[in-house]
Amino acid sequence: MSFLELRDINTFIGQFHILEGVNLDVPAGDIVALLGRNGAGKTTTLKTIMGLTPARSGSVVFDGSDITDRRSFDIAAMGIGFVPEHRAIFADLSVEENLRIAEREKGDLEAKEDLIFGLFPDLKRLIRLPGTNLSGGQQQMLAVARALVPDNRLLLIDEPSEGLAPVIIEQMMEAIRQLSSHSTVLLVEQNFIVASRLAQHYVIVEEGTTVQAGAMADLVNDEETIKRYLGAA
Amino acid sequence: MTALARTESGLGVWFRRRRGLLGVIAALVLFPFVISFVVDGAGIAAVLNNDQGNARFLQGLAIEVFILALYAISYDLILGVTGLLSFGHAMFFAVGAYSFGIALKEFELAWPLALLVVLVAALLQAGLFALVLPRVKGITFALVTLGFASVFWIVIQSSDLADYAGAEIGLQGVRPPVWFLDTTNERFAFYLVTIAILFGVYVAYTRIIDSPVGKVLHATRENEDRALMLGYNTFWFKFLALGIASITAALAGSLYAMHQPIVTPSVAGLGFTVTALLIILIGGVGTISGAIIGAAVFRLLQYYLEKWFGGTSDLLIGIAYIAIVLYLPFGIVGTWRARSLRIKAGRDRLLGVFGGGQETPPPAEE
Repeated sequence: MSFLELRDINTFIGQFHILEGVNLDVPAGDIVALLGRNGAGKTTTLKTIMGLTPARSGSVVFDGSDITDRRSFDIAAMGIGFVPEHRAIFADLSVEENLRIAEREKGDLEAKEDLIFGLFPDLKRLIRLPGTNLSGGQQQMLAVARALVPDNRLLLIDEPSEGLAPVIIEQMMEAIRQLSSHSTVLLVEQNFIVASRLAQHYVIVEEGTTVQAGAMADLVNDEETIKRYLGAA
Repeated sequence: MTALARTESGLGVWFRRRRGLLGVIAALVLFPFVISFVVDGAGIAAVLNNDQGNARFLQGLAIEVFILALYAISYDLILGVTGLLSFGHAMFFAVGAYSFGIALKEFELAWPLALLVVLVAALLQAGLFALVLPRVKGITFALVTLGFASVFWIVIQSSDLADYAGAEIGLQGVRPPVWFLDTTNERFAFYLVTIAILFGVYVAYTRIIDSPVGKVLHATRENEDRALMLGYNTFWFKFLALGIASITAALAGSLYAMHQPIVTPSVAGLGFTVTALLIILIGGVGTISGAIIGAAVFRLLQYYLEKWFGGTSDLLIGIAYIAIVLYLPFGIVGTWRARSLRIKAGRDRLLGVFGGGQETPPPAEE
């Protein structure tokens, strides 16, 4: 049994049927890349796991327990961290307050200080600044760092490389590689090169349905699939 | 050496940090005496004896400002800090004014018991508002709360309750239950009581906002989904903010029932909610201290423009508000804070050029 298992997930946003049968498996300790074109349902899949857009039917099983109908804050408390796209930090809070607010128990931040500032030395220098004063790359680092503060067993990371300069992308990839030794990762990534270098497995969704899944090593050589579903080689 | 903050504590630090606040309180306490000396040509005794004069009159005006400030602070907590747009906030105030007045006048309760009644009423109405919290958001929440307040506004004017609430005339003839709440005969004592309550509440609010709970309220305003996915059940945080705001506004209402000869139904109307909104827009949304400054600007503008210009004052007040919104877009305190941040960043950069101070990193670049 996988660490995270989605079976035949159907999710609606308002009247729109966004996910029409998503299936995926995330093995413990690995990085799985969730791929697909814009609007395929990748972000909604992450939000459904997190309980932000709950599934109407199907099941989400995390580490043996069914979390389909649980509420977001309960799901978070079970050890799932979510790094939303677009640098989802709190703009008016300082860097430290942004990290502090993710503490589940007092002292979480102190315990993870070395890990976080080791991965993102910039954040240490900027600790007192309000989030809004950070550059795009720094905000993205903060969003990832925030998910590292509590002991999360699974991280859902949405588009970490979006809109970042190449040198920052390299740093972000290194960070994700390192944090995957602490936590299982489900990664949504448009940039196929980034995804292929990080993930061991892939899942492709197309129009809200899982169309293909397997080992990343196989996909890299499958130019036809890449062209058909991802529109890039 | 860790980069994380280590907060100092202790009484000495507390007083040093709040030097400015303590100065303001001291100035306000001395204010009637100064007026008595300078304007009335009287002495300390005139203030203590409650003699007629400018000192007594200005204390009355200041008390009105303090009560409005207390009311506006509570609105700032739910709107400015937590991000809940309520159009029914006047009800929070009116419930306090009416329940305190009726408990004293009709049921002849001792004042601590009457305050207890106010507390229970405040918690009940916070509960009522919280009932709809999980179901409606944003503008819908505003309209539902407006509905609640409108119902309350109609009920207190009903002839069935005329014996208690005085129908459309309002509640009158409430006698002060204790000397320090007697604004007619012990003006200076009541003045000190309102100062103590206002600044006590102010300190409590700033502590709440700086606490981890306050950061979650803040996060809820910025993006509720993000707060949820960090593991916070935001409902309880919003309920807490409503409860604290409701108690504060009801307390302001109770003081109002002591200070004004009549509590009219207008304090439950939409116009009075807009008053709170205006005050925090003038002072700076989400700044708390802005609510106090905004209340002072609001009430003093209203009073003096009317005194000097009579009928045209409404027009002038309107022009003053437009000017404030145009030139101080974040309110008085909000704009001041933004400016001082920019000045500080500029100074740091200048020092950086000469190799002196620590350079503030540049703002976001995309």
